[in-house]
Amino acid sequence: MNFKGFLRPDGSVGIRNRVLIIAVDECCDGIARAIAKTSDDAVVLTNAYTCMLGGNEETLNQMIANAENPNVAAVLVLAMGCGSILPSQVMEPLKSTGKPVESLICQTVGGTRKTVDAGVAILKGFEAYTNTLIREEVPMSKLVVGIKCGGSDTSSGIASNPSVGLAADKLIDLGGTCIGGELFELQGCQDALRARASSPETYLKIERLIENERMRWSVEGTDVETMSIGNSIGGLTTIEEKSLGAMHKFGSKEIVDILEINDKVVEKPSKSGFYLSEATMLCGGAGVNYASYGAHMILWTSGAAGFENPLVPVIRVSGNEDLINDDIDVDATGIMNGKENLDTVSNRVIDKLVEVASGQPTQLEGLGGATLTLYQKDQRLDTLLNIRCNKAQ
Amino acid sequence: MNRFVKMHDLDMVATALVDLKKGETAHIYSTDNVLIAECESLDHIPYGNKIALIPIKSGEQIVKYGANIGACTAEIQRGALVHVHNVKSNVVDIPPVFKKEIMRQMGIDVKEGFTNEF
Repeated sequence: MNFKGFLRPDGSVGIRNRVLIIAVDECCDGIARAIAKTSDDAVVLTNAYTCMLGGNEETLNQMIANAENPNVAAVLVLAMGCGSILPSQVMEPLKSTGKPVESLICQTVGGTRKTVDAGVAILKGFEAYTNTLIREEVPMSKLVVGIKCGGSDTSSGIASNPSVGLAADKLIDLGGTCIGGELFELQGCQDALRARASSPETYLKIERLIENERMRWSVEGTDVETMSIGNSIGGLTTIEEKSLGAMHKFGSKEIVDILEINDKVVEKPSKSGFYLSEATMLCGGAGVNYASYGAHMILWTSGAAGFENPLVPVIRVSGNEDLINDDIDVDATGIMNGKENLDTVSNRVIDKLVEVASGQPTQLEGLGGATLTLYQKDQRLDTLLNIRCNKAQ
Repeated sequence: MNRFVKMHDLDMVATALVDLKKGETAHIYSTDNVLIAECESLDHIPYGNKIALIPIKSGEQIVKYGANIGACTAEIQRGALVHVHNVKSNVVDIPPVFKKEIMRQMGIDVKEGFTNEF
């Protein structure tokens, strides 16, 4: 099986030609958005934390990794000029991708208005370039798909998660790659994960990273919302119940590795198969995490909420008859009422993946995108919890 | 039919795919859509929530998806609602203030001195 994608200079394959505008500090966010308004291809990624680098290296690593994502055809890096993150720090690692990269420093260009004008001109040049790119047939082995849930309810554990899990198994049989995450929500699943890990070392890494998340979220000082009140009213009683239902979406294949993301490194899949990762359970941040790992799109199971990511298109799957609406890309309600089985719905998920990979817009593409949230772990907290000493470097 | 689904052979609970009033009969289906049991409800079981298929003692583990999902904190009779008022997590439990809010919104009676401990 094949899909039609855009071959990049470095041999990777994109499914969209996005122009990524990176605001390396929050002060140039408005400039980035003013420039982006002039192009349908433009997506803004703003470092909304700070203009300082110390303690925010994970954010810098993710800005670079998002620019490396194969859905990005060209990159514009913006800085105000008075902060400590320089455009060159983002641009240098991008050289090996061969994609067009430009930068503007507001202070040097001569102010906000001139920077907006210069940025609009750069985007016109990028557009001329992306217009020359043509889709070509590529094998499914080039496809990388993140798997995430959100707005979970009873139908998730019964319909959308098991059908996406079966689709993930089928995609891997076709040579593709899937990445899961949400480690805090794998508590109570350790036995099943041990059985699936590619080696004892892989399982130890999985166990360590789940335990790190448990420690971070168990620090006293505030209530821990393991689940939303809405989750519980929908029938979920404990985090273990939510986790076991949620794990169904990760299918049943061997776990090749668990991909770390931190101030030192963003690990990426080394070969086809199923991976776990440190992608957060928070949807906005997870979208950026999955883009960092090189995912082309996200399979997202839900009661019926409308999460979309402008860089990595989201395929939404719902089995909730009462809530399903035209935000949803794949209807799994037939499993709930006994009219369809998992196999039928999982085939529909695969068909949708191929269509969207080949250029068909999702139900919400270009309409309701979430903010590209640069979620990062707190290095000071990790130091206090003694987590930092044994991470991948 | 009042459809409920039992996700695994070992499960002590089944999930409501209807809103079942107290005193009505739940029809329990397996995941391959076979009617395997009937059970009269002792409580209102809202859509998506769980009914006990067997009596469960305080301190016993509750099994769903063939695995432990938490510990029973107050004796549960066959046909009763199984939820935050009689189950707590083995790992990280929902804070009491949120449990009370969940029970308030769902109309589950909050007993005087509710602690959700064994």
